[in-house]
Amino acid sequence: MNAASRTLTSSPEIVRARLQGRRFDAAGFFFRLLLLAAMFVTLGLLALLLFDVVSGGWGVISTRLGDFLTGKLGITAARAGISQGLRGTFFIGVFVVAIAFPLGVGAAIYLEEYAPHSRLTRFIDVNIRNLAGVPSVVYGLLGFAIFVKALRFVTGPESNGATVISAGLTLAVLVLPIVIITSAEALRAVPDSLREAGFGVGATRWEVVRSHVLPYAGPGILTGTVLSLARALGEAAPLILVGATTGYLSEGAGYSLASLQERFTAMPIIIYTWAGRPQPGFQEATAAAIVVLLVVVLLANTVAILLRNRYEKRR
Amino acid sequence: MRIANSGSRRRTTAGRLVTALFAAALAAACGNGDGGRGLGGRIVISGSSTVEPISIGVAEQFDDLHPDTRISVDGPGTGDGFELFCNGETDISGASRAITGQEIGDCRESGVEYLELKVANDGIAVLTSPDNDQIGDCLTFTDIYALAGPESQDFDNWAEANDLAAELGGTRGAPFARAPLTIIGPGEESGTYDSFVELVLEDLAESRGEPAQTRPDYQASADDNVIIQGVEGSDTSFGWVGYAFYDSNRGRLKGFEIAGEDGRCVEPSAEAIAEGSYPISRPLYIYVNKAKMAANPALEAYVEFYVSDPGLATAAEVGYVALNEEEAAATAEAFQQSRPDGSPSPSLSGSPTAAGSPAPQPVGGA
Repeated sequence: MNAASRTLTSSPEIVRARLQGRRFDAAGFFFRLLLLAAMFVTLGLLALLLFDVVSGGWGVISTRLGDFLTGKLGITAARAGISQGLRGTFFIGVFVVAIAFPLGVGAAIYLEEYAPHSRLTRFIDVNIRNLAGVPSVVYGLLGFAIFVKALRFVTGPESNGATVISAGLTLAVLVLPIVIITSAEALRAVPDSLREAGFGVGATRWEVVRSHVLPYAGPGILTGTVLSLARALGEAAPLILVGATTGYLSEGAGYSLASLQERFTAMPIIIYTWAGRPQPGFQEATAAAIVVLLVVVLLANTVAILLRNRYEKRR
Repeated sequence: MRIANSGSRRRTTAGRLVTALFAAALAAACGNGDGGRGLGGRIVISGSSTVEPISIGVAEQFDDLHPDTRISVDGPGTGDGFELFCNGETDISGASRAITGQEIGDCRESGVEYLELKVANDGIAVLTSPDNDQIGDCLTFTDIYALAGPESQDFDNWAEANDLAAELGGTRGAPFARAPLTIIGPGEESGTYDSFVELVLEDLAESRGEPAQTRPDYQASADDNVIIQGVEGSDTSFGWVGYAFYDSNRGRLKGFEIAGEDGRCVEPSAEAIAEGSYPISRPLYIYVNKAKMAANPALEAYVEFYVSDPGLATAAEVGYVALNEEEAAATAEAFQQSRPDGSPSPSLSGSPTAAGSPAPQPVGGA
């Protein structure tokens, strides 16, 4: 298939070359340069950012990475660590994976495969798209009103609802529209011939979805959902509204389930607060925390890519 | 067939995830079986960002003694802190000023009785180089406003501030001699910057319809040592740092005397700050919810540690002026007085002798 597509794309080039003769295509060349420049500017900015962060945090990473990863929040930069931020971010990730993914993918499957193509579904579709564009602070307010205030008896009555459950649920809701849209997009890319073939041999709708549509759309769905996970892990604004702790936090219950109802903090919150701390050493610690968050997000992405490759091979 | 296989496998993983989550949610909802060992309990601290570093420092030490307590500290600001506190959402609220009448009313309305404890003093020294013989020793708030306030942008000579100072009136240092003016101070993110603006510039700026801030064109540094070097670096420099830092570098700097409303020039000193006669200083408080303290031994132990000698010494470590002996004794006394009559101290150190003192003394609240 690869070889076939290559000959397909190269043959028009040969035709174009013959038609144009040996004339130099100035406009085309200029456009190509422009695109190349766009790519280099983007990559350059990214490289600059990475270099800046890594070099800024190198003092911490090279000398006390272990302490830094296992230490607690605090007022002395030399002793401060991010273990609690990592824990909060981990739990938030779990909530997003466990709540937003099944709900979002489920809604997308219903909308694409089951719902009749009526005005109502189009209306719903448009609204979901709008929801995906709502600023994250607004979701923070929503989370504050619903999870922190109204559902306090579930999310953590003894911590005023400012817990990792509230945070996880808020961010799950935040990425839900994105999960639905990307999944729906992936489902829409499945050729209808595949479905028709399934129906043609007498499969039910459920059988067609399960054994034809989903496997085909799987990698696309996975890519979209993991991007939304990365988005959730990087959000700070909604967490501030939900009541993430910024100053100090005791070790508490560690990774046990009891800690879900405790006050929490998360990596983006730590980065945000430390960046504003005047005490010496916190600028370095901030850079190091950014590097750690980047690594965490990259790890999540890597897992997704590996999973996607596995599914693609199976297909 | 392969396709069907992979589909069903994925379903089981997803199923497992969902089950795990439900189990997690249930377990979390059902109980925090954390009674028993040691001082377990939650302590929620919020309030002034100026007091936050002290509370964090105390929490760090307390945590080492009682690893089972769950302390969280935030610093959204004194006003925001009182809003939460009077709502009963926090146990302790830090404050860089005394509670206002409005806030007292809020607390009373929701039945929150509190204990006010002074825990430190915040003072700022206004500096120049010890070699500065061109400018007088004493400044008023107006002088400082004319030199470093929001209307002084682009002044790079002391004399340029003279017109503004004359217009404002009430000066002591002005008219200034012609001498280059280099200004150096903490950056906007620093608590010292906020304190400086609130204590010195805010009233004047507001009365003139200017934003409450310093002039934007000064050398800002987050590092106090850099500020000190900068102040030393020019004979006619102007700068400010937290008093504690000035005190430990006295030989290298000259701290201006400051004249307050009574017109008396007061040198920055620990005594003057403690008695409140040095104008650029203010007391820092914590407010403790009494009912919560009675119900929560961990909270009581934390406050007891806060007002103990090592607790109060934390203030100096994070750049404030620690209470002197007299003030510290008064704070400790206020805490002991607030204890319910005859209740034994639940803390480690055995019951302090004052536990029997009668008549709990409500500071406000009731």
